[in-house]
Amino acid sequence: MSKIKFFIQQSWLLIVSSFAFGLLIAVTNAALIDRINENEANKTSDKLRILLPDAKEILKQESITIKSPQQSDVNIELYKAITGDQCQGWVFKISGKGFADVITLMVGVDKNFEKMIGFSVLSSSETPGFGDRIAGSYYRNQFVGAPVGKLNLKKTGDPDIIDSDIVAISGATISSSAVVNMINDTMLQLKSKMLEKGMIQDVQ
Amino acid sequence: MSSNENKIGSTLIAGLWKENPTFRLMLGLCPPLAVTAACKPAFTMGLCVIFVLVCSNFVVSLMRNLLKPHLRILMFTLTIAAFVTIADLLLKAYQPDMSAVLGPYVPLIIVNCIIIGRAEACACKNDIWVSIADGISMGVGFTLALCAIALVRELLSTGKIFEITILPTVEVGGWFVPWTSMMLPIGAFLTLGLGLAFVNVITKKKQA
Repeated sequence: MSKIKFFIQQSWLLIVSSFAFGLLIAVTNAALIDRINENEANKTSDKLRILLPDAKEILKQESITIKSPQQSDVNIELYKAITGDQCQGWVFKISGKGFADVITLMVGVDKNFEKMIGFSVLSSSETPGFGDRIAGSYYRNQFVGAPVGKLNLKKTGDPDIIDSDIVAISGATISSSAVVNMINDTMLQLKSKMLEKGMIQDVQ
Repeated sequence: MSSNENKIGSTLIAGLWKENPTFRLMLGLCPPLAVTAACKPAFTMGLCVIFVLVCSNFVVSLMRNLLKPHLRILMFTLTIAAFVTIADLLLKAYQPDMSAVLGPYVPLIIVNCIIIGRAEACACKNDIWVSIADGISMGVGFTLALCAIALVRELLSTGKIFEITILPTVEVGGWFVPWTSMMLPIGAFLTLGLGLAFVNVITKKKQA
């Protein structure tokens, strides 16, 4: 009995304040969680808007399963941009290993998967001043209008010529090739899956 | 009463220079190195630290007479962790961009030794008003130190201060070649080191 008394004497403050602080955090969380979730959703839709500024509506589609280079199944989030009843293009979300951490991209493609609309970086922790320039216009503009197919990373070349050759950022070869590899690993597989499902037409 | 008022007054200004947490006490050096690449995140970080410091000092001071000596660190950590979680949630809700930039460094305020240090050195020995004054003064001193380092780093690495262009860079047709290394960890160590040297020189001159 005296042991229990001693225990309570020593720890009552800790027990009481644990509950009090727990309650405080729970109340704050309950008050803010809607706003936090809304912010998360807005972040994705803002990036979609930047890729497809003309689209009236951007609808989330059923995700498509493809094989990763390591032969495991990956679900790709897919969005369809519509104006009226016209399909404006597709956006898919991919992620892969960058220089420092995982890079997550939104990649935009036109309605029949012929040309890329471009990509935007959803999250990355690449080195500031070097790797994070994958989000800059020098690198990103090379993808705008590039043909859907295998992209090649080149160390030198003219970044203003839009074709399947992408000129790497000097000082950030690993980040540059990470983006190209991520797109190469997904895009053609995704295209053939979508052709199978009849979501897009083969124009050739 | 008047001696207590004097104490509040002297506590309120101590953190700004005499006992500045970064440049004089050299406590909690993780944020000055990690989040000072630009002014805006540094300032946001400073505000979070002020909030946590004032709240935790207040609570610790309230329960100072109930604390068991061997359980005090546990109580400090519990209090600090609760307020840091609240600050993190507030930041995620109202400043999502800043929250993304600061990433894990906001939750890491829990282990920042300024806060636990002030709880131990001041809040558990003084009354509520002195503790709150100490929280404000240390927090503001910390924020000023963060902003001072960030100011130098952001200006030299991008030519901007608080995202306003001061020095036009070569990329946009100006003359300033940005020092990319100031954006990297090396820039933080250099600036902090030179800042410490500068503060020491001034202090030596004052004493002489």
